[in-house]
Amino acid sequence: MSRYLLRRLGSAVITLWLLATIVFVVVSVLPSNVGRQILGPFAPQEQVDALNHRLGFDRPIIIQYLQSMRRVFTLNFGESYTSGAPVNDVIFPALWRSGKLALLAFIMTIPVSILAGIIAARRQDKLSDRAIVNLGLATSSIPEFVSAAVLLSIFCVHWKLGKAFANPPDGATIVQQLQYLWVPALAMAITYFGYLARMTRAGVISAQHSDYARTATMKGMSSSQVMRRHIMRNALAPTITVISVQIGYLFGGIIGVERVFNYSGLGSTMLIAVGKRDIPVLQGAVLLVGIIYMFSTLAADLLIAALNPRVRLEVSK
Amino acid sequence: MSESDQIEGNPESMVSTPAVDVIIPATPPAGPSERRAARKENWRLIRRRPSFIVGNIIAIVWVTCAILGTRITPHDPLDFRAKPHLSPSSDFWFGTDKTGRDVLSRVMAGARDVLKIAPPAALLGVLFGVILGMLMGYIGKRVDIILSRIVEAFLALPVVLIALLAITTLGNSSWVVLGVVAVLFTPVVARTVRSAVLAERDLDYVTSARLRGESKMFIMFKEVLPNVSGPIVVELTVRIGYAVFAISTLSFLGAGPPPPSPDWGAQVSEGFNSISAGIWWTTFFPAAAIASLVIAVNLIADAVQSVLEAS
Repeated sequence: MSRYLLRRLGSAVITLWLLATIVFVVVSVLPSNVGRQILGPFAPQEQVDALNHRLGFDRPIIIQYLQSMRRVFTLNFGESYTSGAPVNDVIFPALWRSGKLALLAFIMTIPVSILAGIIAARRQDKLSDRAIVNLGLATSSIPEFVSAAVLLSIFCVHWKLGKAFANPPDGATIVQQLQYLWVPALAMAITYFGYLARMTRAGVISAQHSDYARTATMKGMSSSQVMRRHIMRNALAPTITVISVQIGYLFGGIIGVERVFNYSGLGSTMLIAVGKRDIPVLQGAVLLVGIIYMFSTLAADLLIAALNPRVRLEVSK
Repeated sequence: MSESDQIEGNPESMVSTPAVDVIIPATPPAGPSERRAARKENWRLIRRRPSFIVGNIIAIVWVTCAILGTRITPHDPLDFRAKPHLSPSSDFWFGTDKTGRDVLSRVMAGARDVLKIAPPAALLGVLFGVILGMLMGYIGKRVDIILSRIVEAFLALPVVLIALLAITTLGNSSWVVLGVVAVLFTPVVARTVRSAVLAERDLDYVTSARLRGESKMFIMFKEVLPNVSGPIVVELTVRIGYAVFAISTLSFLGAGPPPPSPDWGAQVSEGFNSISAGIWWTTFFPAAAIASLVIAVNLIADAVQSVLEAS
């Protein structure tokens, strides 16, 4: 197991390096002029050159590259162009707020969608299965900002059950924070429901038809025992992978949700950075999301290995 | 987002491999005529699926709106002479927006903005992805190891984020959006194609082509490609849906065509601040338009996928 962990960590580091390189290519290598983009088309050329000099975009590309790699591996993303504050002071508090929203969304969506997936699988091709599958297809097709806008008008404006401005006041208790956050979290939960439910359904269906499930049933285990001990352990592996992948992708959708609810998380921070062309902040935030993705997929692989003895055996060989 | 991970799932452990596995001959070397017959049969099965029919009806409505544009809209989508924020009525079925423009006309005309970019972006992404995936799967070895790593790194970046970064540094134009979405779809498609090619690579027809002395290019694109066309077609339909999803999210975030263009994402972004004042129609109808187009494409993709994967 420890050898597996080591190998998996090693590959995570390589992926992180490649990811940072991709972000570097987008920002520094593609034919773009960052100073010009920040200052606009009418700024005098000297100012553009001065800004490019200050941001370091006039240095040889290899130096820029080494610097940007150092930033990634020391988790120090430099300074914001507009405020001069360290990028870390901007993105980490914002990440914490987005994290709360994301956690709530997952708490809402995971039990419901796994349960829906199991129900659909057990009633395969019956009406309830069709309903769950098609509902899942529809909900995962709706962009998060669309469901956010619709939920906003229903729950926050029409029924006044939630808040249209999701930033809780300072010092709010957990219960008060929940009042602010549940509607935006629901908007995200809706989009993830479809993937998770369909994934769980597919996993359970193929595990149900397996030899080990048949053997367990035939030796007289109750169907709930077969489900718990044999089917779920195997069927959940792809679901866990999907959840981990979504933790990374969630940050693509969270931007829209945070914008609709004026929530000041990582998504809003990135949007503000886009508006001000604050590339250091944007670059830091994108890299941070990549790092989170790496760790969540790593955790998922370890969890799958822990759940399934066969995977453990295979990797230790 | 993550749909390609769903297809992979957990390898051998979940699938109950039938014991007769050995007896089944490797994929029969389908001749051109057999292949055509199989394709015809698949097409017939796909056409009959209700999700395909429903999806197509919705999609055709939007394509018609996109092609005919202002020729069929009840009002001029840019005409602001009506009163602002009129609620839906018989004159303005979907009401008017904050500058007095007809929401229905804008929603109809807005189909063009997204349909102009999304399908070409998906097509381009699939084209690159097929070439890359083919190289990874067929050439294999070091090429595969290196490219797989790069693909994995790309997958760690949410499309919307890296697109925002690229648009911020490269400037905002529909060409940049199209190119960025295509490039970001490439690794996802490449991974699907790679695993399909890996399953074909050691089959008899490929070996015999190799022994015949055919070039790698010929084997890859004339022999293997027709046999992995199923997953590629599925991937293309799924990608079109995701392109609409991603592009409308980008234009909602301000990276779409500039105003007064009637783009759907841009309309939602103009309208959602008035929801608190009870003005829901300026947001709801363009939002519903986005949702309906993505759902329609995904219904079609679902039908194509269930037929092609069963065969």
